[in-house]
Amino acid sequence: MNIFVFVKRVPDTESKIRIDHKANKIIKDGLNFVLSPYDEYAVEEALRLREAHGGKVTVFSVGADEVNIILKKCLAMGADEAVLLKDDTPETYDGLRTAKIIAKVLKDKFMDYDLLLFGRLSIGADNGQVQTMVAQLLDLPQINVVTKLEIEGNQGTAYREIEGASEKVAFSLPAVLSAQKGLNEPRYETLKGIMMAKRKEIPVLPLEDLGMSAEELAPLMEVVNLESPPPRKAGTVFEGEAEAAAKKLAQFLHEEAKVI
Amino acid sequence: MNKIGKLDGKIIDKLKGIVGGTHVITDQEYMEDYSHDEFSLSDISRMPEAVVKPASVQEVAKVVKMANLEKFPLTPRGGATGLCGGCIPSAGGIVLSLERMNNIIEIDKHNQMAVVEAGVTLMNFYEAVENEGLFFPPHPGEESAFMGGVIATNAGGARAVKYGVIRNYVRGLEVVLPSGKIIHPGGKLMKSSTGYNLMNLFIGSEGTLGIITRAVIQLMPEPRESRSLIIPYDSLEEAIETVPILMSSKIIPLAVEFIPKDVIQITERFLNKKWPSTDGSTYLLIILDADSREEMDRLSETVADICLNKGALDVFVADSPQKQEQVLEIRSKIYEAIKSITLEILDIVVPRAEIALHVKKVQEVAAKYDIWLPTFGHAADGNVHTHIMKVKLVEGRLIPFPEKEWVGKMDRVREELYQDCKIRKGMISGEHGIGIVKKPYLSLVLDDAEIQLMKGIKRVFDPNNILNPGKIFDLKS
Ligand SMILES: Cc1cc2nc3c(=O)[nH]c(=O)nc-3n(C[C@H](O)[C@H](O)[C@H](O)COP(=O)(O)OP(=O)(O)OC[C@H]3O[C@@H](n4cnc5c(N)ncnc54)[C@H](O)[C@@H]3O)c2cc1C
Repeated sequence: MNIFVFVKRVPDTESKIRIDHKANKIIKDGLNFVLSPYDEYAVEEALRLREAHGGKVTVFSVGADEVNIILKKCLAMGADEAVLLKDDTPETYDGLRTAKIIAKVLKDKFMDYDLLLFGRLSIGADNGQVQTMVAQLLDLPQINVVTKLEIEGNQGTAYREIEGASEKVAFSLPAVLSAQKGLNEPRYETLKGIMMAKRKEIPVLPLEDLGMSAEELAPLMEVVNLESPPPRKAGTVFEGEAEAAAKKLAQFLHEEAKVI
Repeated sequence: MNKIGKLDGKIIDKLKGIVGGTHVITDQEYMEDYSHDEFSLSDISRMPEAVVKPASVQEVAKVVKMANLEKFPLTPRGGATGLCGGCIPSAGGIVLSLERMNNIIEIDKHNQMAVVEAGVTLMNFYEAVENEGLFFPPHPGEESAFMGGVIATNAGGARAVKYGVIRNYVRGLEVVLPSGKIIHPGGKLMKSSTGYNLMNLFIGSEGTLGIITRAVIQLMPEPRESRSLIIPYDSLEEAIETVPILMSSKIIPLAVEFIPKDVIQITERFLNKKWPSTDGSTYLLIILDADSREEMDRLSETVADICLNKGALDVFVADSPQKQEQVLEIRSKIYEAIKSITLEILDIVVPRAEIALHVKKVQEVAAKYDIWLPTFGHAADGNVHTHIMKVKLVEGRLIPFPEKEWVGKMDRVREELYQDCKIRKGMISGEHGIGIVKKPYLSLVLDDAEIQLMKGIKRVFDPNNILNPGKIFDLKS
């Protein structure tokens, strides 16, 4: 089975995000970047499918040279190949633009695949659009937010958690799937894996080589403002002996919060 | 000499006059919390007669002065995460809780030092320090401990291998003496040869010499890269024998912990979290730091080579903050996971080259008494935590055994291990302190002359024996 996984480099969720208000950008300085966690589930699932059925796992990322570090991580986890789809344009947050690039690559350069795996969204941008758009552009079946996956021959079954139920979806390959938390528990890299990954070449496919027009690549949307969420208000502490404090709490709930 | 028994109402009123009525607790139910620490057996707990919560050094000084005048015992209390009964008011009297003195006064970037009040929790301190891009290396396993308590016990933690214990980071203190006088030994100074170092006397004094109200803490630049390696072995011996080889290879890890698989599995179930590996029977957890990715790769490669040569089955890597946190969380929650079935945690420290032999002795003792003695800890600084358990572990299942069986065994097991510690020229506490629990064994490892000097020091500081009496040693014996 030939599996392609598409991954993105994102700020780690623990990082403190600071905003450059003039440029409407996130200040990258001091941020720690990681492989988007949902993408990590996708990579893990690809590796498990390969271990069960044989085949090959190739990981792709669209971005500048700095995304090599997450591609190396995927190689260290056990992916067979990684390809950098080199795009030096600053982040546009336009999912359609990324989807068009990926679709073009899959039409012209890497045509041989059975499964296209994505994370359900990349943390940070939280758009969750690319996988669906790629499926549309390539006219493939697609199932989002998958928590369990079974493949038999060229038929697959995917499970997804929906409101109050678990949905079971049958599909035929090739198909586009996006991974949700719970799909698996990603493995830790081993040091051997990291060393092997370090020595592995990552081929680069520059955006210019795809023959896409400036018009095709122009983002269709623009981020006009970024604001930090308002700081959370500090909690109220009722001090004193239990009885007195309880009285104050009751009074507060009644008179100010008006919940009792 | 001490007034043991009811503090009279007048004293309570005066205390209320000093700290405010709501900060003197006499309510039995509320005081229950203040009658114990994290030591697992309840027979050492004791209710205080009152809990007093001052908000400033002046209030502390007034309360202490009063205790000295009226001669009632006073036990300082931090986060009560101690494991030897240190903050239990075993002579009665009042518990003086530092919980309201929880301000981080300053983080001085130029001097790379912080000034904190004694009631600041480790958790809040780490956060504040990280926000300034700085680093506070010591890491005792329970982050709800207070800075004052951590200093009063000279706490250690896993990272001591590279960075040393808390004593190495205290530069100055503000202390209220039993007389009520306030002194400020040390300061924002990197060195001082000016007279006796009084500051160091308070570090590790377990609340018997003075009340620490403030501290000046040395910080460091934050290392850029940090990585945890999880290394499974088929046998405990191989794992531990790796450590001296590692330490002589010119690599100084932050931490080298050894942990048996059975306690990892119990903790995994307790937290519903996954450890990176299910291989082998024992793990080494090695934490490295470095200033660049290249340096980190080089260090980890060397470590991996040494471990694999000594029989390690694989080397797993946690380098994202989440993964490192997950691994560390499992490591630090082991105690919580097995607390309810633990009788006592030993804290033996031996010269690090002796650790394999000591751990072997633990295994012999476990077999001899047919008791489960999970043992893990800080392999590279010789500090081993053997847990005396009230259950047996049979093929992964926990089987309780009756109290009358463990009561006798517990003392004999402890005695044998302490004897082994003595033979290896070790100490009975590496980082937790003596408190009341280890008091009977002090003379096993310290000369009488040393103990007499310690008692003399106690008498100089606290002639009326009001501060945490009966801890570390009994003055009369
Ligand atoms: C899960 C767990 C993991 C742990 N891991 C470690 C570890 O890795 N390394 C380690 O060293 N310890 C460890 N400990 C033990 C404990 O956390 C430390 O001993 C800690 O330093 C105690 O701090 P505390 O504020 O809780 O002190 P407390 O328990 O409140 O008090 C300890 C002693 O200090 C005295 N004291 C407290 N505050 C003051 C003050 N302001 N002035 C004077 N005396 C004072 C008390 O009277 C008492 O004698 C662990 C404990 C637990 C429960």
